[in-house]
Amino acid sequence: MEIFNSLLPELIRIVVCAVCGAVIVFGNALVMGYAERKLAGRIMLRPGPMEVGFHGLYQLVVDGLKLMGKQLVIPVNADKPLYMLAPLLAFAPVFVPLLVLPFSEKIQGFDLDIGMLVILAFASINVLAILIGGWSSNNKYSLFGAIRSVAQNVAYEIPMLISLLAIVFMTNTFSLKEIAAAQSPVWFVVIQPLAFLIYIVAMVAETNRAPFDLPEAESELTAGFHTEYSGMSFSLFVLGEYANMFIVCSVATVFFLGGSSGIPLPFFEYTGIVWFLMKVYLLMFFLVWIRWTYPRTRFDQLMNFCWKYLIPFSLVNLLITVVMVKLV
Amino acid sequence: MDINKVKKQWQGLTTAIEEVDYAVSGYDYNLSLERDKVRDLAVLMLDEGFYLVGLMAVHVAPAIEMVYQFAYHESRCRVMARTSVDENGEIATISDIFQGANWHEREVRDLHGVVFIDHPYLHPLILAEEDVDLKPLLKAEGKVKNVDAIRRKPPEPAPEPKPKVVPEVKPEATKNQEQS
Amino acid sequence: MSMDIEVLEDSSHHRYVLNMGPQHPSTHGVLRVLLELEGEYAMHLLPVLGYGHRCHEKIAEFKPAKSFMPNTARMDYLGALIYNHGFAQLLEKAVGIEVPERAEYIRVITSELNRIQSHLLWYGAYLLDLGAFTPIMYAFDDREHILDILEDVTGSRLTYCYFRVGGVSKDIDEKFVTKTRAFIDRLRSRYSLYETLVNGNVILENRLNDVGDLNPHTCNRYGITGPLLRGTGVAYDIRRAEPYSIYSQFDFEIPTATKGDCMASFMVRFRELEQSLRIIEQALDGLPEGPVMAAKVPKKLNIPAGDYNSSVESPRGELSFYLVSDGTDVPYRLKVRTPSYSNLSVVPEMCQGMLISDVVSAMGALDLVIPEIDR
Repeated sequence: MEIFNSLLPELIRIVVCAVCGAVIVFGNALVMGYAERKLAGRIMLRPGPMEVGFHGLYQLVVDGLKLMGKQLVIPVNADKPLYMLAPLLAFAPVFVPLLVLPFSEKIQGFDLDIGMLVILAFASINVLAILIGGWSSNNKYSLFGAIRSVAQNVAYEIPMLISLLAIVFMTNTFSLKEIAAAQSPVWFVVIQPLAFLIYIVAMVAETNRAPFDLPEAESELTAGFHTEYSGMSFSLFVLGEYANMFIVCSVATVFFLGGSSGIPLPFFEYTGIVWFLMKVYLLMFFLVWIRWTYPRTRFDQLMNFCWKYLIPFSLVNLLITVVMVKLV
Repeated sequence: MDINKVKKQWQGLTTAIEEVDYAVSGYDYNLSLERDKVRDLAVLMLDEGFYLVGLMAVHVAPAIEMVYQFAYHESRCRVMARTSVDENGEIATISDIFQGANWHEREVRDLHGVVFIDHPYLHPLILAEEDVDLKPLLKAEGKVKNVDAIRRKPPEPAPEPKPKVVPEVKPEATKNQEQS
Repeated sequence: MSMDIEVLEDSSHHRYVLNMGPQHPSTHGVLRVLLELEGEYAMHLLPVLGYGHRCHEKIAEFKPAKSFMPNTARMDYLGALIYNHGFAQLLEKAVGIEVPERAEYIRVITSELNRIQSHLLWYGAYLLDLGAFTPIMYAFDDREHILDILEDVTGSRLTYCYFRVGGVSKDIDEKFVTKTRAFIDRLRSRYSLYETLVNGNVILENRLNDVGDLNPHTCNRYGITGPLLRGTGVAYDIRRAEPYSIYSQFDFEIPTATKGDCMASFMVRFRELEQSLRIIEQALDGLPEGPVMAAKVPKKLNIPAGDYNSSVESPRGELSFYLVSDGTDVPYRLKVRTPSYSNLSVVPEMCQGMLISDVVSAMGALDLVIPEIDR
């Protein structure tokens, strides 16, 4: 009974957090799906979706229904269990990082001591999903996408991690809440501009977005790793991609843009989420903006950029940070 | 390129060199040559800086005629070199000299069935693999003209500018008919 | 086509064959290229053509030469008027019909509009190949104006059949002139937009520089013409080298570049837009009054026996119609030498050892129009 009493609030908390996580994932996909299409349209001198609802507001709902109704085509020679597993693997792990994100001072699922590690660990499962999806499709284009994705994500996780480590050295904690709180006078983007830049570049590469969208490079690999996927299994990849965008942008917000800090609102412990989301969506807007502006890089140039510039610079940045922390 | 020097070299290779009125025919020189001189001519043309516009076959009697068209970048000099294939329908390839001829020769193989000796890869290009012996551009029996029938008639100084074949047709009538 | 694959797969065991096309986003039509890959490097390429073969040359042997005009437009759907021009000119030469001056001016104006339209489409589609999604919309925005202008006079938007033997089918009016002048101003004002959005982009430069190198000798060996040849530094343009129609009366430059890579042909094409505008401008200024059709064009067009050639500069290079006549009004043989056919044939040599991404950018720089290759 004792145990039950102490467990019950935890269980309720877990359920509530899971539900909130699902709401965020789907809500974010709806918002971003619509916003991306509208913004892309705006950039391309066209209106974007206009037909369903006011200015195409329900377009995403209708698209979702359509995708759910579509047949799940499984290629004859595909590795069936793995083929079905891949989209789930791309989609399921995105809930966990949401649990540790400090949306405001009080709105946070769990404040883990190793919050940052949890996020990075679960975010990198996405690579595995892409690899499995590309491999099991038994399609050469998919395989290429998968190979590219693994090489790219493994490479870009290093500068991402190192640039975040510089912050960790300054704050002496992995807990996201404390890192956010440590930026009360000055945001870390001011103190660590180089780390911020490196993180932003690595973030675009990690989410496989243009100009680093090589795993799905449309004009080269038709659709890359998800060439063979259809219906809901395809849309799970897309949902996963948007959720990943949300997570990496949240991490950038927490580490560099002061988390939920901002002009105080009433009940700021809770309403800080407004500032938090505003910063996150500003970064996401930035992602969309560059996607629809730049051409795609070439694979060897992308890898060279990472190994020859980003990683050395992030190491130098880390070194300088460590020395400064020691001195100050 | 010195055209007179090139002409001198042509003389060793060709059986006839004819200067043609560009305004009527759209090219400058008409060379006739034996089929075993084709490769020599190609080498010469490449050395002189000509490029291969294209090559094609015309189905005439007694043997299919091959026409090689060359042109030059720096001044106007468009050359047609013609020869005929042998009795087996074969002729030497020039695709090792002008690599661009590779596809043109494959096309001629598809459409006329001319076999190019020593061609590196004489597979169907334009037609499907199963149509390898279709030879669609060969004329039907009885439709094949003799080679003289397609030659320009030499005695006329220049083609009559206004051929009086049919009574005059009003331009509007033509226009309406073509638009309908 | 299994034969082709076997040929490739025999050569080595650790290489494998990737089938690019006939349905692939960056082959722009039904072109198929077999790539023998080692990692991401294409060690051997084998283009497979003929998916869009429509027997145009055979059709030409079965109907009067005059009625072949619509077919010419269907070969290259982006340069239909220029194909019209080449073919009309061929018959006019052969039969000896004098084209009224106004008709020649109209032909030049519409042909050049057609060329700009083709270059704009290439510009957008090429950048789409390179992964930039937006520029195609800007290019299409401009292109739409040309299509509207041409629709007014020709009645169609893509596969025009506007030129006739002896002139053009319909006279242009004041509205056409005004709209064309407005378009010239509009396109000129857009250059800076294209340049800021695309041309100076560092990613683009890295993708295009030193990719797909050509030199004048290679161009000779393969018969490559057009912007690709001009990208290697040879100022060869049929409009200047063998001035047909009234091109000798206009003042225009032939843009060239020296490096011979994708960037060179990219810049050549981009700069050709301005030269075409200059020609149009001069032609509009000097547009004479008069009829647009020759007075006496026989209904049955008997072509004197002999052979005739007519070469024009299409947006992609040299286009030659070669007609052999036996004296009747039906051609005995008509050969269409299309520029993309020769230009594409360099791909196995040019792209050997390239990354897949570079193969895509090198093939995009050829500005392929597949129906013109397959005919």
